Amino acid sequence: MSPSERRVVILGVAASDSHAVANHLIAHALRGVGFEVENLGTCTPVEEFADACDRHPDAEAVIIGSLNGHVHEDLRDLPAAREAGRITCPVIVGGNLSVGSKKDPRDLERLHELGVDRILSDPGQLVALLDELRAARTAERQLLVAS
Amino acid sequence: MTGGVTYLAGRGEAPGPGALPPLAESVDYIASLGKPTAASVLKAARDSGRVAIQPRCGVGGHQEMKALLRDLEERAAPDFLTLTIDSHTRLKRFEQALRTLNLSPGDLNGYPLVSHGYRRGRELNESVAAPLEIRHGSPDARILFDVAVASGITSFEGGGISYNLPYSKAVPLEESLTAWQDVDRVCGELAGLGLVVDRELFGTLTAVLVPPSISLAISVLEAVLAARAGVRCISVSYPQSGHLVQDVAALRAIPALARTYLPSGVEVHAVLHEFMGVFPKDRGHAEDLILYGALVARLGGASKLITKTYQEAFGIPDTRANAEGLRLADRANSRLLGFMTVDEQRVGEELDWILAEVAEIVEPVLAAPDTIPAICEAFAEGLLDIPFSASRYAKSGIIPKRDDEGAIRYLSTGSLPFSSRTRSRNSELLKGADAAGPVIGSLLAELADDINYFPILFQEMDSEVSK
Repeated sequence: MSPSERRVVILGVAASDSHAVANHLIAHALRGVGFEVENLGTCTPVEEFADACDRHPDAEAVIIGSLNGHVHEDLRDLPAAREAGRITCPVIVGGNLSVGSKKDPRDLERLHELGVDRILSDPGQLVALLDELRAARTAERQLLVAS
Repeated sequence: MTGGVTYLAGRGEAPGPGALPPLAESVDYIASLGKPTAASVLKAARDSGRVAIQPRCGVGGHQEMKALLRDLEERAAPDFLTLTIDSHTRLKRFEQALRTLNLSPGDLNGYPLVSHGYRRGRELNESVAAPLEIRHGSPDARILFDVAVASGITSFEGGGISYNLPYSKAVPLEESLTAWQDVDRVCGELAGLGLVVDRELFGTLTAVLVPPSISLAISVLEAVLAARAGVRCISVSYPQSGHLVQDVAALRAIPALARTYLPSGVEVHAVLHEFMGVFPKDRGHAEDLILYGALVARLGGASKLITKTYQEAFGIPDTRANAEGLRLADRANSRLLGFMTVDEQRVGEELDWILAEVAEIVEPVLAAPDTIPAICEAFAEGLLDIPFSASRYAKSGIIPKRDDEGAIRYLSTGSLPFSSRTRSRNSELLKGADAAGPVIGSLLAELADDINYFPILFQEMDSEVSK
């Protein structure tokens, strides 16, 4: 990342979840590679993510962590926030996304239905995903300009 | 038990009828109890070179709480007993605590002392020989403290930083620090009436890889404020990191810090919290760790030890496991174990480093004319900080990491005002790990290993890094 380039992301843990460790480590690592991270921390309701998007209209993504298996319930207000145009950037969700040790692919579909764009199982892929999303957005803009 | 539960609070904030007796009456009551105060038990333990032992324990129902205290006393005779308070009461949700108490007391995760009222508190106090301590996690504990004093309870845990940042997301530090100043001022009044309350600080913080100098620096600041408000007995608790030399040095740093930063009339005790992180599951392994912690407390000269149990990995222990944890920890007090020693030279070196790091953190704050605003500003700027804060009022720019020996160092010192000497030592001990831009995946895996240190050490779990 060139020093002049400003890249902002919004980070937080889902509303019912108080797991702070991975949240702080991801914030630290993203800052380490040059991102400006608005970290909303643990127990963040959708409303607070939307407020942060208002403050940072240039945010590249909202990144929501969840480790307690309640992410579907915690994101119940996400469709309304997206519909109202309050969260327009891509939403990335990662962590442990349902209760129990056996994972059902239906759980991931339900997240997409709520308005989640990308689901990450490996936090190591986060920076690559952000780069990919930005490249897609830039391409989209160029397309718009060209037409 | 219809009508059995009423509110009995002193400051009019809690709903319901009832008032608390005046402080002087409570002081007379405590004198009439015929049992020692927490401060005198701590002093006796230190004078005799023994580590006093204390469990955590708290259930919702009154009869159940009484039975639990009696059972623990009968089975293990700890030096202190605890009332762990439920989460509703911690957050001043007294209505909810009362409702849950009346509907299903088993759903409470502690004893709702404010809802039960001080008469029941006194009944608990009278039912056992050991002094009681209140353990909770309240950013504002004023009402709870008043009910505790009226109950004749002579030891109270918490502090304006240490009971805010690990527990609350959005309580400004100024609010919690001011509320705790009120508690400490009442302790000063009580001292004037002849009762010394032991005020224990919660140096364990978030309990995840807390560097000793952070734990101790926060405690120094809380202790300075407490002493100025009139507190005469301060217990500084420190969470076992797992590294022998580091833990012994951290415990021995406590009296040294007291000499430097506190007036001489204040009694200061070192308290060790047995390992507060991820415990091994196997009973034998868990018991190894419990005994190891107790030996560390002995070698570090702690006045008191807060114990764990072999059921720690599974949740809140039953009474039997709790009693066995106490009995096992007390074995470390045995006269037979006097041969156990520690490398004094290494402890001395580590102690010097800890004292230097604490000084670099606290001295700029203590140099300001007004300590509470200085603390709040320093946290806002990251000059004071804790790792993995639950609260947005700490930046958590600090990233801790275990070195090759298992001692906790700073991978990132955030904005702490450390000297270059301190910074280079930490980065040397971590072999120059790349603090600026680590790869997220490997950082998470390495920290997961540091957090799961004991299950991995006992080979109950595989290392994330070596996968």
